Amino acid sequence: MTAPAPDDSREFIAHGLTGPRRKFLWNAGGGLAGLALAHLLGVGDSQAAENTPRADLNGGLHHRAQVKRVIQLFMNGGVSQMDTFDYKPELQKRHGQKVDFGLKAAVTSVPGNIMQCPFPWKQYGETGRWVSAALPHMAECVDDLAFLMAMQSKTNVHGPASYLQNTGFLTPGFPCLGAWISYGLGRLTDNLPTFVVLPDSRGLPYNQAGNFSSGFLPVSNQGTIIRPTAPVPVSDLFPPTSAKFINPASESDAQSLLRTLNADHLRDNPGDSRLEARIASYELAAKMQLSAPEVLNLAEESSATQSLYGLDDKVCADFGRNCLTARRMIERGVRFVQVWSGMGGPKGNWDNHTDIPNELPFIANSVDKPIAGLIRDLKSRGLFEDTLLIWTTEFGRMPFTQGSTGRDHNGGTFVTWLAGAGIQAGATFGESDEFSYKAARDTTMCYDLHATILHLLGVDHQKLTFRHNGVDRRLTDVHGSVIAEILS
Amino acid sequence: MPNAPLRFLHARRLAPQTALLTLSGLGGLFVCLALALAEEPSDAERSTAATARQATALLETHCLDCHGGRFTRGGLDLTTREGLVKGGQHGPAVVSGDAASSRLLQQVQHQLEPGMPFKREPLAAGDIATLAAWIDGGAHYPAPLKCRAGGDDWWSLKPLVKPAPPKLPRSPDSDWVRTPIDQFVLARLNAKGLRPAPPADRRTLLRRVTFDLVGLPPTAEDTAAFLADDAPDAYERLVDRLLDSPQFGERWARHWMDTVHYAETHGHDQDRPRPNSWPYRDYLIHAFNTDKPYARFVAEQLAGDVLYPDDSQAIVALGFLATGPWDESSLRDIREDTVDREIARYLDRDDMVTTAMSTFVSTTVHCARCHEHKFDPITQAEYYGLQAVFAGVDKAERTYDPDPAVARTRQSLQARQAAVPDLIAKADPSLLTPEIANQTAAWEQTVTATASRWRIIDPVSITSASGSTLTRQADASVLASGTRPETDTYTLRFAITSTRLTGLRLEVLTDDSLPMKGPGRQDNGNLHLNELQVFIAPHDATEPTAGRPVKLIHPQADFNQAGWTIEMALDGNPATAWGIFPEIGKSHRAVCEFTEPITLAETDLLTVRLEQSHGRGHLIGRVRIAVTSAPAPLPAEADVLPAAIVAILQTPLEQRTNAQRATLAGHVLNEQLSRDLAALPAPQKVYVATNRFQAEGSFRPAETPRAVHVLRRGDINKPGDPAQPGALACVGTLPSEWKIDDPNREGDRRAALAHWVADSHNPLTWRSIVNRIWHYHFGRGLVDTPNDFGRMGALPSHPELLDWLAVTLQEQGGSLKSLHQLMVTSATYRQASQHDPHSAEVDGDNRLLWRMNRQRLDAEEIRDAVLSISQKLDPLMGGPSVKQFVQSPGIHVTPVVDYLAFDIDSREHYRRSVYRFIFRTLPDPFMETLDCADASQLTPVRGASVTALQALAMLNNRFIVRQSEHIAARAEQAASARATQVSLLYEWILGRPATPREIGLVTDYAQKHGLPNAVRVLLNSNEFMFVN
Repeated sequence: MTAPAPDDSREFIAHGLTGPRRKFLWNAGGGLAGLALAHLLGVGDSQAAENTPRADLNGGLHHRAQVKRVIQLFMNGGVSQMDTFDYKPELQKRHGQKVDFGLKAAVTSVPGNIMQCPFPWKQYGETGRWVSAALPHMAECVDDLAFLMAMQSKTNVHGPASYLQNTGFLTPGFPCLGAWISYGLGRLTDNLPTFVVLPDSRGLPYNQAGNFSSGFLPVSNQGTIIRPTAPVPVSDLFPPTSAKFINPASESDAQSLLRTLNADHLRDNPGDSRLEARIASYELAAKMQLSAPEVLNLAEESSATQSLYGLDDKVCADFGRNCLTARRMIERGVRFVQVWSGMGGPKGNWDNHTDIPNELPFIANSVDKPIAGLIRDLKSRGLFEDTLLIWTTEFGRMPFTQGSTGRDHNGGTFVTWLAGAGIQAGATFGESDEFSYKAARDTTMCYDLHATILHLLGVDHQKLTFRHNGVDRRLTDVHGSVIAEILS
Repeated sequence: MPNAPLRFLHARRLAPQTALLTLSGLGGLFVCLALALAEEPSDAERSTAATARQATALLETHCLDCHGGRFTRGGLDLTTREGLVKGGQHGPAVVSGDAASSRLLQQVQHQLEPGMPFKREPLAAGDIATLAAWIDGGAHYPAPLKCRAGGDDWWSLKPLVKPAPPKLPRSPDSDWVRTPIDQFVLARLNAKGLRPAPPADRRTLLRRVTFDLVGLPPTAEDTAAFLADDAPDAYERLVDRLLDSPQFGERWARHWMDTVHYAETHGHDQDRPRPNSWPYRDYLIHAFNTDKPYARFVAEQLAGDVLYPDDSQAIVALGFLATGPWDESSLRDIREDTVDREIARYLDRDDMVTTAMSTFVSTTVHCARCHEHKFDPITQAEYYGLQAVFAGVDKAERTYDPDPAVARTRQSLQARQAAVPDLIAKADPSLLTPEIANQTAAWEQTVTATASRWRIIDPVSITSASGSTLTRQADASVLASGTRPETDTYTLRFAITSTRLTGLRLEVLTDDSLPMKGPGRQDNGNLHLNELQVFIAPHDATEPTAGRPVKLIHPQADFNQAGWTIEMALDGNPATAWGIFPEIGKSHRAVCEFTEPITLAETDLLTVRLEQSHGRGHLIGRVRIAVTSAPAPLPAEADVLPAAIVAILQTPLEQRTNAQRATLAGHVLNEQLSRDLAALPAPQKVYVATNRFQAEGSFRPAETPRAVHVLRRGDINKPGDPAQPGALACVGTLPSEWKIDDPNREGDRRAALAHWVADSHNPLTWRSIVNRIWHYHFGRGLVDTPNDFGRMGALPSHPELLDWLAVTLQEQGGSLKSLHQLMVTSATYRQASQHDPHSAEVDGDNRLLWRMNRQRLDAEEIRDAVLSISQKLDPLMGGPSVKQFVQSPGIHVTPVVDYLAFDIDSREHYRRSVYRFIFRTLPDPFMETLDCADASQLTPVRGASVTALQALAMLNNRFIVRQSEHIAARAEQAASARATQVSLLYEWILGRPATPREIGLVTDYAQKHGLPNAVRVLLNSNEFMFVN
């Protein structure tokens, strides 16, 4: 692992006007000559000084942090819980029967008859957890995971549901989990973005980049979209290849000329930290140009590792590449990596309205091996010491049919799992009813999940706020409690 | 918290105010003493009574806003002793006779959380002692307490009064003052022992005011002209010229678009582009350029359609309410009877309420959605009352006539059309004027003359593309049976020898074998004919679409399902279709003309292709075709007449009843009016808040305002009382309850809100707008939180100046241009932005304006400035937004958007940034990096971040790289010597001559690496990115 910068480092923002605190910070650093990038503290509209990560709390804001970095695997479309992790013998017994749930209509259809899971089930691991044959590789890892078996959503519609799971609100424009983490805790490295999004190579999810938005937080907290296999994986990291007039020599002289001109300007315009911050940002940019290509170079990984992630298997190579990239990123100090499975729209994702027996295995196979590989790899490299892994989706699906063998959206209950630092491996919290129609016991919402994630990062979810339009906004709105039952 | 030092500053300034409040408490004491004396109490009693008066006055001043007036937060009501003793959700507020154990005292002392008064300054120690003594003495109330009228004395809610600019003693800075603004500013500076900065030099001022007013840099010619102008009013004339330039409106419309979260897609999972949002953007540009009076500007955006029915632009103004996101899945696609639909409706209205109230009155009413507002005197009922204001409209596309004359004609025709049902219903012969009678008679003659010229034709071949069983019937119709595919296309061929055929008739017929008797095969009897096509094909053709297509025009049907008209079967768009629901179980007919008469050769077949691709079995059950040779225009009416009209026509004239006569006349009038309406120029479309739009599935206009309930805890499952449309009672200068005559006329509700907001007595409105304008000119508002003038917002740095500006704006008839002029010609604005260690020590945040604030260029300014410097900027104004990306169909609604694939040297890329098409869920990454507003949120204040990714974007984005080449080419064309080229670059990019040192450095670099690289460095310099 590369040595991360000290925990109090953060993306620096200059906003508004020069304040006394900023002046102090900059002058204490001895101005430009003594500029230590890693020690640049947030200025302006970033977090307040009394709310910065504390070394004595292992980088936490409010209490000791157990987690320093997070990988979130987001299954776009609404994973069918009763066909993957939520084993319901009752569905087999009542297959084909009409059960009245008191529901006139699901969001896009009239309720059909009960449909059993079309895949066989088996118990796995010491915990004896039931997993369907749709996820044979993940099944082997269940002892490392803690399950929330009764997650619930406020809505049954993709757009608002994806916003809810990512930002805690049903409408667009709110900062997502990754943005809040970036805002609250800042960066671990100068060399890479703090919050990275690896979308499905086929396309962006529902709500597109709205799900990775920094909303009203400073734009520096926005998810940086990286497409490892695209011709340009990171926007504007390098000049376009068409610009023949730019070459390494011109670049290096350009940096030095720019430094000189900016230094002259700064001398004539003293007392404004934003000018100094901009100068420093070019130094950071140069570092990022060196580091980003390296992190994407999977050839550095052994063939055993590559095949652990399924890179040699066409069915799952795309997602596997993103999982492996995610691991390399958190190793190098990226705080939060979000890996997406499934694009927006009616297919190529987990939104299996038409045909669970065929559609679900297709998408499940594309992630199952890579995710199992990621779990094993994180574990064997000791990264679970301070890394949290989350697997989730925007809602579940109905126990009855839509059409002949599809299932409609169901915010009533779905499954999320967590693994890694601070998580009690093998734990279970919550239970759905006998049909997996609704959460029945120990219901959890995105607020609780988010509160728990922040808690592990040493952040009290009620204290991480940002004033916007007259409201002290939180990731967890006015809800959320830490799910102690799954913590180690 | 960036506001922390500022709050402290204001905390100290609050002291005099607190003193005043205490004095008013003493006033109460005086009255109390007078009463007490009359009863000759003992000294002790007198003292106790005095304490009680004092203490309860303190409660009145500091507590009743939340505990006993319109609010009893935490269940605590302090207006009576009973309430005090009973306490709230945490138990009794006092232990009588024991102040130290009393909750009230502990909270006032901040020993117990939350400290009281909540989020306000703690009480003075003396006041706390008074309360303690009072509780120890038994906490008696002389009389029940009363919350003051309006319930609030918060600064922003106080009535507007124009303060006199402070008189300043003679000082070295006396001559500095140019406008009353400067008097207010200087008075505060002097009070702190500060002095204003010297005036900025002319080049700096020119660059500053040009970017500020028009969002562009001054050109070299502008600079030369201004520097050469020695007249004392040169600057004032410059300002006038800038305010008069059309670019002014473009610049200030963009600011407004931030405030109202303008974008052109829906922003949810179905992020559908809105092709007709842009007229609202053009409305804004026009409004700012023509200096539309602010009250009118406000009123138009809330209720222009109702208040100014003769002004078509007042309809476009309603784009304001529709700028925000729209959840298409929840509001249109999912089933209407779901709770998700209802949730989405509340959230959508919330967006309208939030936009309107944040933008116009800087009030955070949206905080009262789940509970009473925690900090400001706004009830949940008031919040839902505002939702009720918008309960009759949806965000949708409506039509309007840009030409007012056409609009009037259309209105009059529509009014006459609307009167027809009444004419029919009354069946009063006196209503049938001779004119109407003649018109009816003439029509009847043509109908009878041309009737029955249709010839039913018999198919020689029938095919189904998807396996329906199609059988010819004895009456030459074709009946479908057997499997019912999802979609199908029927192809019917006819051998006919007629010449000069002019039209075709399609009948869809009922049949007992069909569901609901048909005429469709869908379970509900409906059908959808997506496309009706006719070909003349050789008899041996095998392809269904072989042969020469015959173009069909002037379609008419006896019945069109709402949103599924017969025109849609001819529009070439397979996504639209003709339908007949709910008129099922009845036969229907449609006719259309050929563009020109057709004649078939012996060997030709007439091919009729019926494409039914809607799905879910919306297929035709039974169909029959006829043709005619009657000259155009076709005698269509005779054949597509409703059965009732046919029956009347078959009744001899003299035997017809009054009702029949009226029905016939009504039909004829309707026909005529429809034709007249169709002849008007096609109306334009605009995306606004409206109840006049085409239904799409279950997304339908609300005929009357939808019911809005006060949702307890904001929960859709806990509806409380129905909400009554109304405004905010805390604005004491205006009635908050409205008298609305007809609760079903939704427009009246919006009009009432428009009047309330735009009223000259609404202090919020006028303070809000002058603060916004100040914010953009000075980089920071007099109030730091332009959207929040409540208790969670910032306090004004110069409250008197704010009020003076607000009243001055009213006195100038709401002219924003006068306000701009006033601000930018002030000495305060004209100061240099230079640093001063002493002043910074006293006022590090420059709240007192001892210098001008240096501002970073915003995303649009950077982009437009670069285009202006390269001289590529296209001055074209207005019109549909330019998509600076390649858009291709996605697999569902949301299109695929590729910014990288777009040609950066295309003309569209050279348009000003305000004309960019803004895609909500995938905004331009380059602009985003430069802090362009997130269009899903109201953005009253933009960030100005500094990040490595931003540095990379400025260095490497292909726009900057390519434009560097263009700018270099311009310099190389203008001069041949490198050094001269570099001098020109400094003039163009930084607005000043280069120093010899700079010429040396940059020329050296350009010699080595070429001029485009040098341009790129200058565009990345701090000096370019900031305006001094």
